[in-house]
Amino acid sequence: MRRRYEIATSQAEPATELKHGAISFVDALVIGLAATSPAYSLAAVIGPIVALVGVFAPGVLLASFVPMALIASAFYYLNKVDQDCGTTFSWVTRAMGPWAGWLGGWAITMTGVLVVGSLADVGVKFAMLTFDIDPYAEGRQPLVIALSLLLVLVLTAICVVGTEASAKLQNALIVVQVGSLLVFAAVAIFRVITDDSSLDAMNPSLSWMNPFGEGGAALTGGLLLGVFAYWGWESSVNLTEETTDSASAPGLAGVWSTFILLVTYISVAFAIVAYAGTAYLRDNKDEEEAIFAILSTEVLGGWDWILMLSVSTAAIASTQTTIIPASRTALSMARRHALPSVFGTIHPRFRTPHVSTWAVAAIAGVWYVVVSLISENALFDSLTALSLLIAFYYALTGIACAVYYRRHLLDNAKNLILIGIGPVVGSGLLGWLLVESIGDQADPENSYSGQSWFGVGPPLVIGLFIFVVGIVLMVTWRIKDGRYWRERPGVADPAVVRGDKAPAGTKGVDR
Amino acid sequence: MSIVLGYDESPGAKRALTMAITIAKTFDEPLVLVYGVAPPGGLGEEFTSHEAALAEMAKSALDHAVEEASAAEVETRVEVRPEKPAQALLTSADAHDARVIVVGTWGESPLRGAMLGSTPHKLLHLSSRPILCVPAAE
Repeated sequence: MRRRYEIATSQAEPATELKHGAISFVDALVIGLAATSPAYSLAAVIGPIVALVGVFAPGVLLASFVPMALIASAFYYLNKVDQDCGTTFSWVTRAMGPWAGWLGGWAITMTGVLVVGSLADVGVKFAMLTFDIDPYAEGRQPLVIALSLLLVLVLTAICVVGTEASAKLQNALIVVQVGSLLVFAAVAIFRVITDDSSLDAMNPSLSWMNPFGEGGAALTGGLLLGVFAYWGWESSVNLTEETTDSASAPGLAGVWSTFILLVTYISVAFAIVAYAGTAYLRDNKDEEEAIFAILSTEVLGGWDWILMLSVSTAAIASTQTTIIPASRTALSMARRHALPSVFGTIHPRFRTPHVSTWAVAAIAGVWYVVVSLISENALFDSLTALSLLIAFYYALTGIACAVYYRRHLLDNAKNLILIGIGPVVGSGLLGWLLVESIGDQADPENSYSGQSWFGVGPPLVIGLFIFVVGIVLMVTWRIKDGRYWRERPGVADPAVVRGDKAPAGTKGVDR
Repeated sequence: MSIVLGYDESPGAKRALTMAITIAKTFDEPLVLVYGVAPPGGLGEEFTSHEAALAEMAKSALDHAVEEASAAEVETRVEVRPEKPAQALLTSADAHDARVIVVGTWGESPLRGAMLGSTPHKLLHLSSRPILCVPAAE
């Protein structure tokens, strides 16, 4: 009897790698756009950003792109030496050791977990708006909470069962989303120019591109939300890896998707400020969360449901695509003994990490209900808190990149700029933003709602609470099981950096 | 020719294993045990961890199956493929010129099977070779 194990190699390309030249221009474009879910991001942050910085919203959205671009370079180069295995958790552990790695993994998992509630919330509210039901009406909040929880439950069940929504359908939805956003912006600006605005319009001015116009606490608050809006964009950068010739389809699509994203964000910001005017926006300060919905009705009239529907589908689709990575990070941490092994359990029939998936959903659900009930503006407060976590783990990744590549920084000018200086400057900017925001948020006057928890702003309380819980869990687990803490930091494999050797990754399975 | 079996540790698969061993013995052909380790849910972060976890499961499941088959004196071959289960079975079936592909079923309603993306359901539509569906014991 022969008995042997083998990894079949008849299909030379492992399924985890995009085949060279296998993705079309449109595919690549869509992947790049889908990663940030522009319709949801805009619906969630444009109101608060306009509330904070007024006419300078376009400038703030442009400025927050700078640190993101620098950190994306770090993601690109780390992914090159440690392919697919990872994200921040794996990279930071390798570069800077287990303590920093664990905190990075915790931050990235919690951002995933915490955003699920607000994604579901936006998904439900805009679905209701599509059918002309006002989710902001008096007494509707319990219904919104119940529906959002139901949505999280259903989507988690779908993730556990492992059913895959059609990729083609998702692609079509993304194109519709971006298209309807651009149509919204175009119609709004057209009506401003032709003096047809139903509100007190202002003529667009280039000075709106100045991010420092409003200054101070408003700027850091706005930039932090801008970081949230671009969150996820770094994954589209990896597209350029599919081809060394950046002039060919996928590389070009990566550039295009970034360009479209920037144009969409900035033109929608311009459109909203120009169409409604600062006076209207100031008078409707209480509507911040709903401003996007109100303005789409003002601008598009009877056709507003298209924009509502695309925001809703964007949010719902993102809920699902957020649960999967969050549960996989937990799985990865459990497999390296950084979390209890129960989170690494795989369902024998569905083949998904069902324990970590349900855990993610449970924490997300509890979090969402608690914040909705105690905060005056749950969405805004959680997004600002999330942005603190995102800034933290992005900054950590930027530093990890320079540290992991430290022996190659001086090889050539490109390495020095793209792997060393760029990511470190990006980390510095995000670190500055983090420190400034913590200072600003310590004064409840600066939080949007002006609400005070323990004498400081709610987002800071939320952010600190997550870190403290993380540190307590980390120390507890360190005392219980020290195996993960035996991992030692290393450096990037020189052979892989020079391109002589493929990165250790998915080519085979340990036998 | 050979007999190709899609095997995991589910109760349906156990009964399918017994059936596949019987067929392999009857035709005196080798039995190919196939396990696709590509995680559901497509690409994404930490994909590799998920795949590695599945490969570990595959190893323990297939070890048991190989023991049973060798007890019955059937020549056995094991293939762990980096593909989703249905695709892995189709690739192996072509590679080994399968007489029949044997899979266990759960007795799901057709609608549920279609919605959940059941492997037998996919195979029936995609395969050019005969499929033998073995229901789990009641």
